[in-house]
Amino acid sequence: MSHSTESPNLSVERFDSGVAKKFSSMCFAASVVGLLVSAIGLFTSREQFAFSWLFGFMFVLTLCVGCLFWTILHSATDSEWGILVRRQMENVASVIPYLSVFFLPLILFCAPILWKWWDLPPGQDALLDNKAAFLNHNFFWVRYVAYFLGLGGFAVALRSTSMAQDEDGASRHTFRLRKLAIGGLPVMAVCLTFAAVDWLMGLDYHWFSTMWGVYIFAGAAGSSMALLVLIITGLKKAGYLKAVNLEHYHIMGKFMLAFTVFWAYIAYSQYMLIWYANIPEETIYFKIRNTEGWHALTTILVLGRFFIPFPILLFQGTKKNPKFLCAVACWIIAMQLLDHYIIVLPSLHQTGVSPSVYDFASVLAVAGAAAGFFFRRLASANIFPNRDPRLSGSVALTN
Amino acid sequence: MSQHRKVYGLGAEFNSAADLMHAAEKIRDAGFAKWDVHTPFPVHGMDKAMGLGKSWLSAAVFCGGFTGALTGISLTTIPSFFLYPMIVDGKPYSWPTVPAFFPIIFELTVLFSAFTALFTLLLLNQLPKWYHPVFNWDRFKRATDDGFFLVIEARDAKFSESRTKALMEEIGGQNVTLIHD
Repeated sequence: MSHSTESPNLSVERFDSGVAKKFSSMCFAASVVGLLVSAIGLFTSREQFAFSWLFGFMFVLTLCVGCLFWTILHSATDSEWGILVRRQMENVASVIPYLSVFFLPLILFCAPILWKWWDLPPGQDALLDNKAAFLNHNFFWVRYVAYFLGLGGFAVALRSTSMAQDEDGASRHTFRLRKLAIGGLPVMAVCLTFAAVDWLMGLDYHWFSTMWGVYIFAGAAGSSMALLVLIITGLKKAGYLKAVNLEHYHIMGKFMLAFTVFWAYIAYSQYMLIWYANIPEETIYFKIRNTEGWHALTTILVLGRFFIPFPILLFQGTKKNPKFLCAVACWIIAMQLLDHYIIVLPSLHQTGVSPSVYDFASVLAVAGAAAGFFFRRLASANIFPNRDPRLSGSVALTN
Repeated sequence: MSQHRKVYGLGAEFNSAADLMHAAEKIRDAGFAKWDVHTPFPVHGMDKAMGLGKSWLSAAVFCGGFTGALTGISLTTIPSFFLYPMIVDGKPYSWPTVPAFFPIIFELTVLFSAFTALFTLLLLNQLPKWYHPVFNWDRFKRATDDGFFLVIEARDAKFSESRTKALMEEIGGQNVTLIHD
């Protein structure tokens, strides 16, 4: 049924700024602890620090870019279901510009450690010489700037357009959001793909996989939907977003299920093609990760990212049970953490798992800061776009 | 002629989807069981207005898909691991080779699910059906164009030609007509 002519009859909700300040300073304090420990690592064991930091950074970046993807998808497809929850995706995505600072120490201090091509003179490796047009210092810097301009620019533009609608309720903002989103879709795809190639695939410049970008994207989209479920549930617990009901949970659960399957599909396809073709240049990636201590973690990842959540999320009852869905969401985010651990750290510890305090410190530093910025964003805007012309459709959602 | 034929039920026409939905809510609350609505397009919320529960289709599809997955696993692993173990393309004939079987397992899961979905759907809807009494009602042809209809069957325990007709007129039904088999 169409309700587009009825007025939503929902009052404006604004997150308590005192509580937000308290939360964000707690998060920043945690981040400072992580930063201090990481700083010790930077000076005492730079190798370990470099890989740990890249791991923590990519985990947080993928969560934020995933939320940017959901924001873009929502507007590009003219969706109505998620207008109530859209602002939270926008809030998470708008943390991306801050993250650019967290990547700087890697380029400034650790580039030759992480990316072996960085200091290799021409003529040493024919493979690298052929890739030199892409893998060189200047272009690497240009790309770093371009990624954050592209991703961060669209995140900020989408959020500010959406917030402008809170002021006047004009429908032109909806059309502008749609245009921005359709423009942002290819930009986001290209930025995330090439960032994944530059920063993660570049850990071994011999290795390549044509599915790498979409693999990183699949994990990002699924885990950021899980993050959204947690944020929405948290806000509901705090007494906000009463209009969000089980129908919204059902849809968010469906997206989690879809991207659980999509991740498995992409991860399997990548593995299958490399395993079957059996070319040493390509198999090295899985050879390291499927032997020694890494094999156990890889097995846990395959079971935990697909075989456990899939049958659970398959049933409507679990998707319509917020408590249960939150547990699954936590699990999926933990698996995203494990995924990026397995992507980054084996490049350093090729002979087996070797956890380090800097692994935890980097996650604490980057995730803490991101959460701190998120709480600031949360308090600086209405909790949902209360004057979106189609808000009532989202409130009266049935699916 | 018509009075010698068996009565199938009563049909009523409504002006809009919204009218029909409100009427459906009233019929639901009156406790009727054997009745249906007919619209030119799907109407969101009609299942709730009619008091329909969750469809059994998904349970059937789950069973179909599960059977498909088991079939796929059996058809690939039993011959390759136990009956005719052979090294193909340098790959071992034990569990690490399972990725090679995933496409087959996946396809059979999808195939069984799809077939179960289709045939259960036909079964639940009692299709194919060559004849249906509602088409004896001339106005009913507009159900695929711009008509909104509600039909209560005579086999419903609460059905009574006069009282049900009065009820249908009371809730806004127009052209309330007795439909013969």
